[in-house]
Amino acid sequence: MRFGLRAKVALVALVLAPIPWLGYRYVKDMEAVLREGQEQALVATARAVATALHDRPELADLRPGVAAGGEMERILKSLGRADLRIWIVDRQERLLAITGDLRKKAPEERPPADALEVFARWLRPVTELLLERPTEDFDDALPESQISGAGEVRAALQGMAGRRWRSSTDSRAVILSAAHPIWSGDEVLGAVVVEETTNAIRSLSDRTLEKVVAVTLLVFAIGALVLLAFASRLSLRLTRLRDEAEQAIDSQGRVKKLLAASSSGDELGDLSRSFSTALERLAQYNAYLEKLGGRLSHELRTPVTVVRSSLENLKMTPLPDEARVYTERAAEGLARLDAILTRMSEATRLEAVVREAERERFDAREVLRGCVAGYASIFPLVRFSLSLPESPVMLRGAPDLYAQMLDKLAANAADFSQRDEPVRIRLDEKGTLTVSNSGALLPAEMTGRLFESMVSVRPEGANEPHLGLGLYMVRLIAQFHGGEARAANREDASGVVMRVDCPVSS
Amino acid sequence: MAKIVAVVEDDPAIRANYADLLKKHGYQVSAFADRGSALAAFRSRLPDLALLDIGLAGEPDGGFALCRELRALSAALPIIFLTARDSDFDVISGLRMGADDYLTKDAGIPHLLARISALFRRADLLREPPLEEEILERGELSLDMKRFVASWKSKPVDLTLTEFWLVHCVARFPGHVKNREQLMKEAHIVVDDSTITSHVKRIRRKFQAVDPAFAAIDTVYGLGYRWNT
Repeated sequence: MRFGLRAKVALVALVLAPIPWLGYRYVKDMEAVLREGQEQALVATARAVATALHDRPELADLRPGVAAGGEMERILKSLGRADLRIWIVDRQERLLAITGDLRKKAPEERPPADALEVFARWLRPVTELLLERPTEDFDDALPESQISGAGEVRAALQGMAGRRWRSSTDSRAVILSAAHPIWSGDEVLGAVVVEETTNAIRSLSDRTLEKVVAVTLLVFAIGALVLLAFASRLSLRLTRLRDEAEQAIDSQGRVKKLLAASSSGDELGDLSRSFSTALERLAQYNAYLEKLGGRLSHELRTPVTVVRSSLENLKMTPLPDEARVYTERAAEGLARLDAILTRMSEATRLEAVVREAERERFDAREVLRGCVAGYASIFPLVRFSLSLPESPVMLRGAPDLYAQMLDKLAANAADFSQRDEPVRIRLDEKGTLTVSNSGALLPAEMTGRLFESMVSVRPEGANEPHLGLGLYMVRLIAQFHGGEARAANREDASGVVMRVDCPVSS
Repeated sequence: MAKIVAVVEDDPAIRANYADLLKKHGYQVSAFADRGSALAAFRSRLPDLALLDIGLAGEPDGGFALCRELRALSAALPIIFLTARDSDFDVISGLRMGADDYLTKDAGIPHLLARISALFRRADLLREPPLEEEILERGELSLDMKRFVASWKSKPVDLTLTEFWLVHCVARFPGHVKNREQLMKEAHIVVDDSTITSHVKRIRRKFQAVDPAFAAIDTVYGLGYRWNT
């Protein structure tokens, strides 16, 4: 499976995933600390109530099942606090008095303090799914079982402060209770029990968790967007660089246009610049190769002329027969050298002609008819078959260059044609010319390079010198006609097809 | 008296070889390595024919300048460019400077000698009134085979020797297609196909300068050229 740059960067963003977990841990720690504090506070409250009731004669008036009245009720009310329930048991663990309510009166909703809170509140439908929100709608009944036999009550009646966590009877809230003995001299008269729910702490921690979720989501969203934008930009630049580099070199290995070097200072800019430099060097090298033929032929002409004129001088001098053999051999060598030079300069001259030649409209069929008629005398051993469309194929270019191109293609096909099958020359209405011959196939790695200067796939040891310029000239002329030259093996692998597509001029 | 052929060529080996060859064929040769010495010698005494290289020592186009100066000294002096350069541009420039013909160095001595003797013959005949004439008439075309002068509709067409021979080869048998090998043989040149094409183009243009409707030289693609009557 292939991952794009963007997907990878998005995966890297997963390192942000522990943030909500860390936030949750932090909030839970905070909650534990708050509970500890609540316990301490509750124990302190129980002690204060117990101290206030210490040695009070009104205590003795309290009877189980009878609501406290008078002074006692006043004392209990004054000691009590909102959401706090205080009750008093006697030594027989009987409930003597109870005051206060565990339920909050009206859960207040503060207006949001900042944007984060607004966002957190907006996210509440989501966070509700994760968090169990404390409710004031719970059963605050105080069953007998919670009074008699409860750990903290028993401890208090034995003279020690006690505390206990328990769930409400319907398990919808957690209740913390703290008990403290009421002393009368050295004697324990009863116990004060103070109760409170953890709802305040839970709603605080819930709000904090809400904020953590909100912050996490925000960071996630912003981080993901930034990373995505960054990755998109990187991948866009890389894609563009790749496309440019691909388009810069055509299927025949020619550098069509140079890559515009990026001016950005990062590594991608460096890459683009070095691509550009490499392409430029390649283009220079290609240009050098293409000019090499012309330059060589020009430079070689002078020494060849020295040899030729010397030989011609020798011919006019009486020489022994023995020497004549050598001058003849030298003359043969010179003739071959001349043939090479002529071919090389032919290509160079064609380059110049193609640059300057005027274009006219002509019917390619007429050129083909004339040329193919002439091939019978030029290539007596090879047969040619010609197939032309009914209607004229008007091309824009130079008919004699087109003829020259066909000559090169025909000579090439004739050289490689091996069986009795004729060389097939075919032109269609769209201006596509194919020259197909049976015989040796093209090596796969050469098909794209065949039309380059000085590239030849001919076997070594051929009689005539071959510089690989013929098909290069074909390409030059095809380009002059706005077309393209291609070489391929026949589909049934019985030979080779050269194909030139020249657009028809309307 | 032997004719004097001036050879201006900066390569000493080629210069000496050409001088020897021409001497063996009965010409008197004066050889020069650069433009200055050649011009100084020409000012005191003109040769009968000049063979010029285009690139001279230190001067890539020295031959062109020398040709122009020589033409200023004498309008009738036959001048042949003999050079390694074979681009159309050089050929056209050389002929525009007033040279009578243009040969590349791979032409070989027989072709060079054919031109030299033809040009001498023409120079001699132009100097004397014609005793006998050998005129080839093909419709509007008339070729003076002695003086190598062509005319179309009685107006002279200024052809070089090579061009004259090409026209003669094509026009001798009207309607017959002359292939490139035949043309090269008769025009005493060894060149590639595209040079023949540009020669023919130049010839057409010269005729068209005299008669814009000229269309007597037909291209038969893949075969050669044909004279239309």
